[in-house]
Amino acid sequence: MSADMLAIARSGTRAARAALDVTAQNIANASSEGYVRRSVQLSEVSASSGIGGAGSTTLAGVRISGIARNADVFRQAEVRRTGGDAARASTEVQGLENIEAAVEQSGVYKASVAFEGSLQQLLSDPTDGALRASVMESGRTLASTLNVTVASLDAAGKGLRFEAQDGVDQVNLLTGELARVNARLGRATEASATQSTLLDQRDTLLQKLSGQVDITTTFAADRTVEVRIGGATGPTLLSGQTSATMAMATATDGTVSFTLDGAAVTPASGALAGRSQALEQLADTRDKIDTIAAGIISAVNGAQTSGVDLQGAPGAPLFSGTNASTIALATNDGSKIATAPAGTGPQSRDAGNLAVLRGALGAANPSGGLDAVLFDVSSAVAGRTVTRDALASIADSASIALQTQAGVDLDQEAVNLIRFQQAFSASGRVMQVANDLFDTILGIR
Amino acid sequence: MTILSTSTGAFFDRARSDITSLRAQAEKLQSQIGSQSRLTRSSDDPVAASRLRNLARTDALSKIDTSNARRATADLNLADSTMSDIANTVSQAKVLAAQAATGTITSEQRAAIGRQMAALHDTIVGLANTRDSTGNALFGGENATSAYTLNASGDAVYSGTARTGDLPLGDGQAVTRSMTGPEFLNFSVNGQPTDLMATIKSLADALQGGVPDPAAAARGALDALSSGLDAVTTGQTVIGTRLAWLDFTSERRTNMDEARAAEEADVGGIDLANSIASLQEMMVVLEASQASFTKLSQLSLFNKLG
Repeated sequence: MSADMLAIARSGTRAARAALDVTAQNIANASSEGYVRRSVQLSEVSASSGIGGAGSTTLAGVRISGIARNADVFRQAEVRRTGGDAARASTEVQGLENIEAAVEQSGVYKASVAFEGSLQQLLSDPTDGALRASVMESGRTLASTLNVTVASLDAAGKGLRFEAQDGVDQVNLLTGELARVNARLGRATEASATQSTLLDQRDTLLQKLSGQVDITTTFAADRTVEVRIGGATGPTLLSGQTSATMAMATATDGTVSFTLDGAAVTPASGALAGRSQALEQLADTRDKIDTIAAGIISAVNGAQTSGVDLQGAPGAPLFSGTNASTIALATNDGSKIATAPAGTGPQSRDAGNLAVLRGALGAANPSGGLDAVLFDVSSAVAGRTVTRDALASIADSASIALQTQAGVDLDQEAVNLIRFQQAFSASGRVMQVANDLFDTILGIR
Repeated sequence: MTILSTSTGAFFDRARSDITSLRAQAEKLQSQIGSQSRLTRSSDDPVAASRLRNLARTDALSKIDTSNARRATADLNLADSTMSDIANTVSQAKVLAAQAATGTITSEQRAAIGRQMAALHDTIVGLANTRDSTGNALFGGENATSAYTLNASGDAVYSGTARTGDLPLGDGQAVTRSMTGPEFLNFSVNGQPTDLMATIKSLADALQGGVPDPAAAARGALDALSSGLDAVTTGQTVIGTRLAWLDFTSERRTNMDEARAAEEADVGGIDLANSIASLQEMMVVLEASQASFTKLSQLSLFNKLG
């Protein structure tokens, strides 16, 4: 009987020791990413004695039935879903902000207004060399700011495509990791420490994956995960240990598309979706700026042909190139501006053709077009920022809700530390009592 | 966020996101006060930013209108004073013609008056060839060089263009910056078109013995000179009207500029008192959050165990 007591106390100390270990592990991992608070599950060990001894039970102490991992599957799925949405919105806004900065900070709008203004100023004295030079210089500024604008748009696009490619690589890497975790999960013992660690890994990987693409997960009985892109009927990214390979293709206009094992796939959320949307907006913006540049070139060069320059020669094109990246001044000579109508002699102050030029430029309305482009992009940024902030706060709430439930609370661990310390001491005390009892029996004489 | 945290990680996460967002708001207010502008980039308020761009464009073009108007004012003032000089010269010619018309002076004296008259002709040709502020012919229309040239027989011939160019003054308004010579030097006598210089030149020739009866020619020229003077003063009146129009438009432009500046301040500016008060409020909240964070984060049960 006292042997039983000793055995029970020994199981008690072992359980308390294990609980203290788990508490220590929890405290150590209080700020580890993806760590889910563990707790020890204890159960009583008892058995009814053999056939004859009905009513008498053998007490055999306590045993550790498992290490519980306090993860809420629903909250984890919420964190993945909302996190994917927030990542999409945030990368899209980031891309759009780059586009906005490219168009706004190049000062292309100001340059266009300055070009208009210099032509208006030239009206006051069409033969003035200084005013003509100022038209050429503001034309040069306009051409080079247009060049700079599309160059920075291209740079932004290059960055976005690089990041998107990196995202695709990440997806493939994470899927490979998940396949390995699946393999090991299949072999892990239920409720073991190994399994808990693997599950932590699995959930962290899934969360990272959902940051790139929208995924739907299905968990099997052995805790392995099947991942599909999009909804429950989407293409399979990972099933057991078989993973599909994602790839990215770039179109001529710089937009990107994704394939999964050769089949086209369109992520609806996640950073990849955000980058792809930003790239579409970028291609659209670049198109508009090209159209505006082409409008300037055809308006100015077209009006030039109907007039004569300061030497009385027929007007030659002022701008060369066909779009915003190729636009440049065709001449540096201010006297080549055809201000006078055809048929007038050299040095004419007749501003008839300058009026035609201004009229053509007014009809092409580059300043208005650039204002519209800036307005489009900036209102897209403003609108998406609201969406992003909303999605980010939803994602934050979801992740804090998960943290609240699955994270480590140091106060609670402190309480556990004392509680299990006391349990350990109490079991030690039981050993002491068993020893005393044994001594009492031996002491009978 | 109103979730009651039981997890240490969640507590720190929430504190971090709250304090960061407060700090970001305070910094935004600070940069608004520093730049005196509500918008740091277009996306802060796309509609206001677009309005500001359009206002800035109108502003830039209006400045050019102002400089064009100044140039037109200078040219018109120059035209006005030149016309006054021409009118004075014509008056002198009238006085001389009246002297020459009397029968009491000798033909030598008439010839001397004729020579004076020829000098006055040269003066008027010179005045008609005045250059404007940019060095172009003031009364030559769109011609860059002289308005009048002398032909082989010494007659002044108009060599400019038929009309003078307009200068835009903004909002679709324009002003003609001067007059062409024929517009105020040409007139008709008894239905016969002539011009001031031809009248004076023929009178000068007549007084110097070009016709049998110079006194009669002088009497005949008096009427023509009166008509010429009328034509010049009429021209001056036109110029005066244009100057008044310029004054009116520049006043209007100033008013528009003021209205635009007010709108710019309205759309893109900040209310300093308001912003500073908001910043102060934000600072108080931020300080309180930081202080309470420091206090709360020290509240660990482990500190009490010993």
